[in-house]
Amino acid sequence: MAYSDKVVDHFNNPRNMGSFKKDDADVGTGMVGAPECGDVMKLQIKVQNDTIVDAKFKTFGCGSAIASSSLATEWLKGKTIEEAQKIKNTDIVQELNLPPVKIHCSVLAEDAIKAALADYQKKTDGQPTGTK
Amino acid sequence: MGYTPCPLLLMDNQQSPPHPDTRRQLQMARSMCWHCQSEVTGEYFCDRCVKVQPVSKETDYFTCLGFPRRLMLDPQKLEAKFYELSRTFHPDFYQTKSADEQTISLSNAAVLNTAYRTLRDSIQRAEYLLALETGSVKDIRTSPPADLFEEILDLQDTLEEYRASERDSEQGHRLRATLQTEQEALERRKEGMEAQLRQLFADWDKLQDAGEATSLARVERDRILKQMRDLLSNRTYVNNIVNDLAATIA
Repeated sequence: MAYSDKVVDHFNNPRNMGSFKKDDADVGTGMVGAPECGDVMKLQIKVQNDTIVDAKFKTFGCGSAIASSSLATEWLKGKTIEEAQKIKNTDIVQELNLPPVKIHCSVLAEDAIKAALADYQKKTDGQPTGTK
Repeated sequence: MGYTPCPLLLMDNQQSPPHPDTRRQLQMARSMCWHCQSEVTGEYFCDRCVKVQPVSKETDYFTCLGFPRRLMLDPQKLEAKFYELSRTFHPDFYQTKSADEQTISLSNAAVLNTAYRTLRDSIQRAEYLLALETGSVKDIRTSPPADLFEEILDLQDTLEEYRASERDSEQGHRLRATLQTEQEALERRKEGMEAQLRQLFADWDKLQDAGEATSLARVERDRILKQMRDLLSNRTYVNNIVNDLAATIA
């Protein structure tokens, strides 16, 4: 089984690798793992006025997991919180052409996005960061 | 054969494992021979027409190999039973039989192989039992161990640094020493987890042997399954990074 060109590209040139300070008020952190395969993914977003201005990730796992999280950070940038909620793992599967055995990697990426958004929202709960 | 009879078409359901008493009743349930339509009372063959019977897809691997759902199985007994059944279903012995029988023996042999491969390894066996016992119940999934993840990702950075460094430089040596220490520490942790798992395996078997249906037993059952889920997951994470470390600094 070969990886698609897009997966290889994200794997060789991962976008937005790194991390933010997770205690910063404008940062949301999502930390998820897949107990079945042992992959670990950390995805962070930086939010200003309800818009994701930057995103970073760190992933320990296979090529598909790295590509999925790399792609996710690319997609997140510039999106509003509400738009980001709508990113589905199937979008990632389609974009990266993931084979059935690697679908769980995209699920992990979606979980990471959701966890990061939830973390950010928990931080800002009760103190809105601007009008919707 | 000296083993408790194992009905092949057990109406066992993976989603909701029946209560021990129900299981006993189910074991009484007999299936019908695909060939002569008489009741199959034998283990893997019809008593009347002596045709091989298919192992149902719903039959769990424990039942398939004739073992109870326990986690401390004797590997020698398991192997002996596997060899015995392998001979029973070996496609070579069915070459002169009908096409149906050949198909059944082949698919039985395949199920048997998967069953043995799964149960032979204590970790895989526990994973399998968890899947059987908890089925699609997702609430057994626990919050991810954030500290462990941070550690793994930090280590990943050091690994990257090492991969990028000149192996013979002072930095390379320093990083390698750091990674080696980390690997040893993680291996010890993994061993600790495995020791805890073995204790849980024993707890599980004891609970099953007691076979009580009290609410206390239910609480204990949930405790064991949840702790086992956590430990197995964490062990997988640790195991992966240990393997990665070992491969990198080898």
